[in-house]
Amino acid sequence: MNADAIAERLGAPHKPERRIDGDWLAVPGLDIRAMVELMSGAESRFVTMTAIPEHGGFRLIYHWDVDDVLLNVSTHIEGVLVPSIADILPAADWVERELRDYYALEFAGRDETPALMLMDGDEPGLFSRTAAMGRDADPADTGWSDVSVSGTEEDR
Amino acid sequence: MSPVIPMGPFHPALEEPYKINVDCDGELVTGADIKVGFNFRAIEWLAERKNYTQDIALFERVCGICSNVHTLSLSRAIEVLAGIEVPERAQFIRVIVAEAERLHSHLLWAGIACELIGFQTLFMSCWSLREQVMDLLEAISGNRVNYAINRPGGVNRDILDPAAVLRTVKAIEDATVKTLIPVLTSDPTVRARCKGVGVLTREQAIAYGAVGPTARASGLPQDIRIAAPYETYGRLEFSAPTADDGDVFARVVVRALEIVESCKIIEQCLELMPSGPYKGDDFPAVPAGAACSRIEGPRGEVFYYLESDGSDTPVRVRVRTPTFANMPTAGLMVLGQNFADVPLIQASLDPCYSCTDR
Repeated sequence: MNADAIAERLGAPHKPERRIDGDWLAVPGLDIRAMVELMSGAESRFVTMTAIPEHGGFRLIYHWDVDDVLLNVSTHIEGVLVPSIADILPAADWVERELRDYYALEFAGRDETPALMLMDGDEPGLFSRTAAMGRDADPADTGWSDVSVSGTEEDR
Repeated sequence: MSPVIPMGPFHPALEEPYKINVDCDGELVTGADIKVGFNFRAIEWLAERKNYTQDIALFERVCGICSNVHTLSLSRAIEVLAGIEVPERAQFIRVIVAEAERLHSHLLWAGIACELIGFQTLFMSCWSLREQVMDLLEAISGNRVNYAINRPGGVNRDILDPAAVLRTVKAIEDATVKTLIPVLTSDPTVRARCKGVGVLTREQAIAYGAVGPTARASGLPQDIRIAAPYETYGRLEFSAPTADDGDVFARVVVRALEIVESCKIIEQCLELMPSGPYKGDDFPAVPAGAACSRIEGPRGEVFYYLESDGSDTPVRVRVRTPTFANMPTAGLMVLGQNFADVPLIQASLDPCYSCTDR
């Protein structure tokens, strides 16, 4: 199945944009789990998933390898709730756990989403929590006080 | 009740931290839970706070073994966004360094694998060969680990003595063909420890999105250098060796054969490389937009997503390293295996936790 056929099946308003770095497809209101079912049947390979904070929610990009061409399928979600695809696609398990660590995204349908990069018990959403600090953020003082070289507020 | 044996985070097999809790029924493994993150440095987070020039230096430090693949991936993403053409000589130099990095990475891994199975002689032989590659990389770049060779638009250093590069590569190819591959494929100790151990089936490799030698040893002929050629790979003749058994032995054989292919690639580059500029122009402001780049690192596909708002600092840099994709398959490979084989099985992935954790 080529990218045009995938775009049609996903109900994309436009054909994929063909670029030197792959095909790019934006699908508003994407049925994420239906996409994964479709891609699994199309013998594609899940590469990874990117989340970008945007307009109070997130732009999610699902990156696939379809017949050796990179296909980037993006959609926007409000809030932090995303349908999990890890039950269909084991390759997505660690990716979802990592995005929970970074942005506190919640993946609906999972029994649990353990920390991957953070330690057990750490508050998820490290990137989101520190976003307001901008470029002045101190990498050693991110609110992760257990390991911060600056120590806790009390220490200071 | 089955005992749960925690291994790590300081590991008997590798000098990098990760943890695997192994459930056992007697000597047999019945389950495994992998924990990573001990090397987490939030490099993607840092990248959003540094300019592109600083980010090149930052991403060089994602990994101490395959540092080149990260600067190459980021440089290529910047080049796509900014529409930068890379001089032909620079493309050849990039391929030569990338393949030299693959040589040193595979030889490093082969040595570790030999040590794990108790084959000390071959361990020393592999690392002796690897040392020659390290010297070669130092001669080209001035550095043994972080080569700092890539820059958006080209490379930072020329190859001044191609004949010396060729001599080294020929010596490694000769030793690999005449000694390394015959011993690795026929020695009874290697076969006894590796044959039928730690199997990853083709179907499992697909479901878990395995990449690189791990996927190729399970019968998946995927290699970004061939599937989506970049730099000058499309002009070179080489193959991506595969095997069907999916066991530790298959992963050993695939990597050993890849050493020979990398030598062939470098030899062709040295023959075809034209004279001319190699640095390219100073790279312009990166325009707003997004770009992806994929390259075939020693452990498999490296994926970068770069998003720019037109400023000197990226909005987002997303990195998917090969070990991130491959490591979850270790949980499948160890099931039903002897506990004593767990270190070898997980090492057969050639895992890199520095890359994984970023």
